[in-house]
Amino acid sequence: MMTDAGAFLWSARRDLKLALRRRSDALNVLGFFVLACSMFPLAIGPQRELLQRVGAGVIWVAALLATMLALPRLFEQDHADGTLDAMLASGHPVPLLVAGKLASAWLVSALPLVVLTPVLTLAFALPAESLWVMIATLLLGTPVLLGIGAIAAALTLGLKAGPTLVTLLCLPLYVPVLVFGAGAVETHAAGLSPSAHLALLAAGMLATVTLTPWVAAQALRISVE
Amino acid sequence: MTHTDGFAGTAPPFAGLSARGLGLTRGSRSLFEDLSFRLQAGEMLRLTGANGSGKSSLLRALLGLVPLREGELELAGRPVTPRALCREALYQGHAPASKPEFTALENLAIAAELDGAATALPALIAALDRVGLSRHRTIEARRLSQGQRQRLQLARFALAGPRRLWLMDEPSAALDAEGAELLEALLSAHLASGGAAIVATHLPVGRDGAAGQVRELRLGRPSPAHRVAQPA
Repeated sequence: MMTDAGAFLWSARRDLKLALRRRSDALNVLGFFVLACSMFPLAIGPQRELLQRVGAGVIWVAALLATMLALPRLFEQDHADGTLDAMLASGHPVPLLVAGKLASAWLVSALPLVVLTPVLTLAFALPAESLWVMIATLLLGTPVLLGIGAIAAALTLGLKAGPTLVTLLCLPLYVPVLVFGAGAVETHAAGLSPSAHLALLAAGMLATVTLTPWVAAQALRISVE
Repeated sequence: MTHTDGFAGTAPPFAGLSARGLGLTRGSRSLFEDLSFRLQAGEMLRLTGANGSGKSSLLRALLGLVPLREGELELAGRPVTPRALCREALYQGHAPASKPEFTALENLAIAAELDGAATALPALIAALDRVGLSRHRTIEARRLSQGQRQRLQLARFALAGPRRLWLMDEPSAALDAEGAELLEALLSAHLASGGAAIVATHLPVGRDGAAGQVRELRLGRPSPAHRVAQPA
């Protein structure tokens, strides 16, 4: 019999394997992120101060929108092909199955954004010492974005207006993450310590990581009824 | 373990399920009320009834996918919640429950792991052979026909895992005559080994072929004359 950890690993492994078969989904998210970030310097022009000023904000907004791109697909296909029912009816703890899915989704659609960020900061002439703050905020912030989005996606599963509703539900909740994420980099650039911003992001991250699987699992149960 | 109860096979026989006074409402419509049945090892319950009479909903309610409005379930004489009953049950719904991107073998391996059944390659291959998909092992499920995908579902049941209660929703819908015979054979073997099954179907699955006792449970709102004939 599968253990609880086994249930988590089962769904994480399954979704990673699926992502490998469906590379276009992950590339779509990554492509959007890179494109959105690299269009800004072209549109604004080579004004170094201005680019430095908006850089962190632009990268954060692009990361946020890129994460949202991946949300509608999170549960939709499992719902359509019946594997979601199979998971809910498997008798294994659904929150852990959901957590496995989310871990996989983060590795596939958020981690590549973080990895590519150093390259993109070059385009905004961000100082090298700001880079680690940028990376830290993205590492702490993207799980929050994904977690909130997963709850919204689970709640609106099967609705015709699902993707639109996800956007409407998520955006207000994403604002604090965006403010603290981009704010940390700006604070650091201004010569102050970004630790307060980072601590708040970390708190949000811990809360999301622990609560999301349970809330999303309940939302999925309501959605498949 | 010795089997004094006359069932062949290695897995212990199904512990016995009894349902009392089940009621289910979808939206504002009551699908059934005061529905009771008992299911012992080696028995099969054939759910029949008109479209929309609640056959699928009853199966889903037994698994906790749809909330029951009222009623009690007992497994082996002890009260059990639908979500706990899940652990004893193997469910096949309308959807294929396979990933179009994975091959037949990969789909079966993934499902078997979730079902707690054997995941060794020879066992998986034997199960695919049993359902007539031996030549389609490495073919992606998206390229399989609807009937073949339904056979892939049956392969899960052919694995003979630890789950002794089969809940099947129209398992023969897309199957050809040979596939229906296969389903019949799988059910017979399952019942003979001490398993139990609740199968929603319009076809005479399990009517004559299956070993073990097959009873019919008719859902819906029959005329008062019929109501008397409804099994209690």
